[in-house]
Amino acid sequence: MNPATSRSRLPTGDDPVIGRIFDIQRYSTQDGPGIRTTVFLNGCPLRCAWCHNPEGLRPEPSVSYSPDKCIACGECVTACSQGCHEMGGQPLSPTSHTYERKDCRSCGDCASICPAGAMELIGREVSVGDVLAEVLEDRPFYSHSGGGITLSGGEPLAQFEFALALLRAARKEGLHCCVETSGHTTWDRLNRLLPFVDLFLYDYKETDPERHRRYTGQTNETILKNLHSLHDGGAQIQLNCPVIPGFNDRDDHLAGIAALAQSLPKLAAVRLLPYHPLGTDKLKRLGLPHPSFASGKHNNEMIERWLCVLREQGVPVLN
Amino acid sequence: MPVAAPELKTSYAERMEMLRVAKRAQTLEKQLVRGSMDYDDHGIVLPPEGQYQVVHSMSGSGIEISDAILSAFVPSGNHPSGEFFGPRACGENFRRLLEIHPVHIDPASSLAGAYMVNFMSYRKLGWNPDVDCSTLLAEHEKYHTIPVIGAVQHMCPDLAIGLRLGWGGLLEQVHRGALANPHAVDYYAGLEQVILGAQNWISRHAETASRMAADDSPLAENLAEIAQMNARLVTAAPSSFRDACQWILWYLLIARMYNGSGGLGKLDLLLQPYYEADCKAGRLTDDEATFHLACLLVRDTAYLQLGGPDQSGKDATNHVSYLTLEAAHQLGIATNIGVAAGKDVDPNLLHRGVEILVEDRCGTPKFLGVDNTIAGFAANGFPIELARQRAYAGCHWSALPGREYACMDVVKFSFPALLNLSLREMMADPGVIPSVAELWKRFKFHLRSAIATVARGIDFHYEHMHRNLPELVIDLLCHGPLELGVDASHGGVEFYTFGVDGAGLATAADSLAAIEEQVESKRRLSWTELIGHLDSDWASPEGEKARRLMLGSGRFGQGHSTGDEWAVRIAAEFTHAVKEKPTPHGFMMIPGIFSWVLNIQLGKKLGATPNGRRAGERISHGANPDPGFRHDGAPTALAVAVAKVQCGYGNTSPMQLDLEPDHRNTAQYVAALEALIRGHFELGGTQINMNVVNRHQILEAHKDPSRFPDLVVRVTGFSAYFSSLSPELRQLVVDRLLCD
Repeated sequence: MNPATSRSRLPTGDDPVIGRIFDIQRYSTQDGPGIRTTVFLNGCPLRCAWCHNPEGLRPEPSVSYSPDKCIACGECVTACSQGCHEMGGQPLSPTSHTYERKDCRSCGDCASICPAGAMELIGREVSVGDVLAEVLEDRPFYSHSGGGITLSGGEPLAQFEFALALLRAARKEGLHCCVETSGHTTWDRLNRLLPFVDLFLYDYKETDPERHRRYTGQTNETILKNLHSLHDGGAQIQLNCPVIPGFNDRDDHLAGIAALAQSLPKLAAVRLLPYHPLGTDKLKRLGLPHPSFASGKHNNEMIERWLCVLREQGVPVLN
Repeated sequence: MPVAAPELKTSYAERMEMLRVAKRAQTLEKQLVRGSMDYDDHGIVLPPEGQYQVVHSMSGSGIEISDAILSAFVPSGNHPSGEFFGPRACGENFRRLLEIHPVHIDPASSLAGAYMVNFMSYRKLGWNPDVDCSTLLAEHEKYHTIPVIGAVQHMCPDLAIGLRLGWGGLLEQVHRGALANPHAVDYYAGLEQVILGAQNWISRHAETASRMAADDSPLAENLAEIAQMNARLVTAAPSSFRDACQWILWYLLIARMYNGSGGLGKLDLLLQPYYEADCKAGRLTDDEATFHLACLLVRDTAYLQLGGPDQSGKDATNHVSYLTLEAAHQLGIATNIGVAAGKDVDPNLLHRGVEILVEDRCGTPKFLGVDNTIAGFAANGFPIELARQRAYAGCHWSALPGREYACMDVVKFSFPALLNLSLREMMADPGVIPSVAELWKRFKFHLRSAIATVARGIDFHYEHMHRNLPELVIDLLCHGPLELGVDASHGGVEFYTFGVDGAGLATAADSLAAIEEQVESKRRLSWTELIGHLDSDWASPEGEKARRLMLGSGRFGQGHSTGDEWAVRIAAEFTHAVKEKPTPHGFMMIPGIFSWVLNIQLGKKLGATPNGRRAGERISHGANPDPGFRHDGAPTALAVAVAKVQCGYGNTSPMQLDLEPDHRNTAQYVAALEALIRGHFELGGTQINMNVVNRHQILEAHKDPSRFPDLVVRVTGFSAYFSSLSPELRQLVVDRLLCD
């Protein structure tokens, strides 16, 4: 849905809860069973070094600048009240536009005036009805594939009330609901979400608590505690394990995944997620520093080997 | 006499490989001699070295082509221009062509024959100059509308007639008709000439195969069988599965050679009785049947339907449906097989079809939303039982076999050209204040005016086509022409439905959306500035700024956008306008939205459009949103968008979908595609043309096509070897993949 051009709205029902999202991805086939629409919510308590959705880290909107799209028309200079944009040299020559973020308040005035789509405001306010209107467009595809809606992010539980309202509304429409979570939240929130979630896609990033803290900003203590509570509470859980070369592609972490899975007898599956360096370009466009962590190249053979090991140990895997 | 299963010295798998190798060599030869081939492969092969010359001609689909013709054949004219017109002259010339047409026997194949030349390429004038249509054509040109006048029928033969009668029976039918209708002596003479020519060509194949069988070849037994079978088929009706495949092939080759026509319809239903009888008698195995089908498919890319309801509504999917898919799968070449998907159609057929599409990556099969096309045809006022008898037979269309004269896929209205004309007219009118409402009013007026022009063209075509180029080949497999002595183009069959298609929907919808948003609502551009930029083709830096602005407006396919609303509105208005009334002579028109590849041609002559398109660039493809319509390019968004612009009267507005393969989990990928197909049809979709192709490979092939001689893509309704396409058409495919 393009916020600038979107027209139709479904009635929002009883719940006028507003949230902030940075994307809606239709025909998602990797975020739960069947064909799904994944809604990406802003805000995340973790700072994973390999994050491939850095535009979702902040709860507020971010300004993204793509110099390759810029035609240096100068519209942003006029629109910006903070003087973040400058034109040097000839107008309409590709190299003449500079964007300095220091005083930028992410108001989005430059993005709304930019004719070329070079300036974009990532993260927009939407109502539950807004999101549901788009999600329901694909209803026939969900029913033929066993798909539905997936809440992702960021960390969807960072906007708990919005996530809850959206799931409740989706459930009312009879949609299959998945939540992709880091698990770094309060148990109370997870517990309140539980009745509206058919499947949790629960991240398990690192077995070693210290390494977990170093590379995500938090230890895995709360995450593990919540995972066991969810499991014991009867939730359907798929463990999503990102395999990041140079960070967690170690045998002791593999052993940790196997041990954890074996401690969760009702676990639906474990899924190994290969690393994709999708976040690198986004960081550049968002003006964010590259992380000190530098990932190596993804190794398919290693993923296959890990899958074999997990299978041999009786862990249900999905890849 | 039943033929015992041959004791093979060469296995079917080996022979299949021989077919593939030969096909690849033939394709490469064609590319060298004919250059780019932006149309169906058709299975045509080059005449023997030294026997042909290359000429420029018009294809049956109305585009300029380079063609190879036999130097030895020179047609006899019956007109001062030196051209030949009318049934007798067409029939006599065609017979002479058939009589000198070289024999083609591939020892590996179980069937004989291949066609090498297009009869139409011997004509210099497409239309008899005595029947003036220049004024009418000029009116079409005003709107950039592609007319029907002089077009080859796009209808479906009833092959059951030929299978029942054979060439001998058809000849008797012609003779009986001639006696009953002495007023049509020239017409019957033309028909007789066609059959005699066909018999000559077939009998020469029988003789050649017999001579070849005498050699000590590992496939001598096969050649002897070909000889016996074809000696019989010169007159007799086919009596076995292999006979039936061979008979159908002869018909296809001859129809193709005559004027580029040749749909098959429901092949699985046609062949089922032969399959069952042969299996019951123990003279046919599935391997043999699959091989015969492959030998048919390798020689012609005819459009055919598998599965779907019979007249009573019961699903007609049978074992031959699966064998036909299997044959295409084993061949891995360009074919045009439509798999029916619907509420009551065997779901396994769709599943197998998707599996093959994903595994082979040849754009085959395509998928047919039969529930919607049947209900749509019935909405014209036809009984549902009749609607169910329609059979898929061309790029995006179906027709009643042998009963419906349907010039489908010929007439194209350029929505963007109509919009540009309306915009210019509005801006030149000092009496109006420019507005979107005024523009839309004028668009609707010109749309109706263009439709009225096409309607007069249809009447004109119906009146005169039979004296220009009668449909002498398909007439043989129609109900009516032989009995009445009247050509199918002129009243010989029961139903006349003229398909008329809109083209460039997204270009027009996005243009209206851009104007509404940027000129009228936000006032970021004035009407005069817009016209200035269109005139200059967005030339200056200010022009580029305006172009980007217009490009960034709400586009068709985004979902809930201004462009989506305009697309629905244009499609609905077009449908309404077409269905308001028949042609002046009372012929029914049926709307669809499909450009074939004529969106390139229509774009070339069109100036810049308000959606940010530059002058001369192609207009949007078929009913699809323009590439890049949405940031995620979601196939479901595409499927929803295209489902909303269906015309609803039985002709299709296909969805063209191009996807990258997913190596992670093929079963999951296949299941998602099945759901996508079913979902699209549930929403009202009518046809899906799909590619599963590797983006990297396509880009590499675009740079150097010769490195990928086996790469087959579904360009639009047809599939083709990527290396056979012109750079422009390759770019069309590349753009879809890069942006979607």
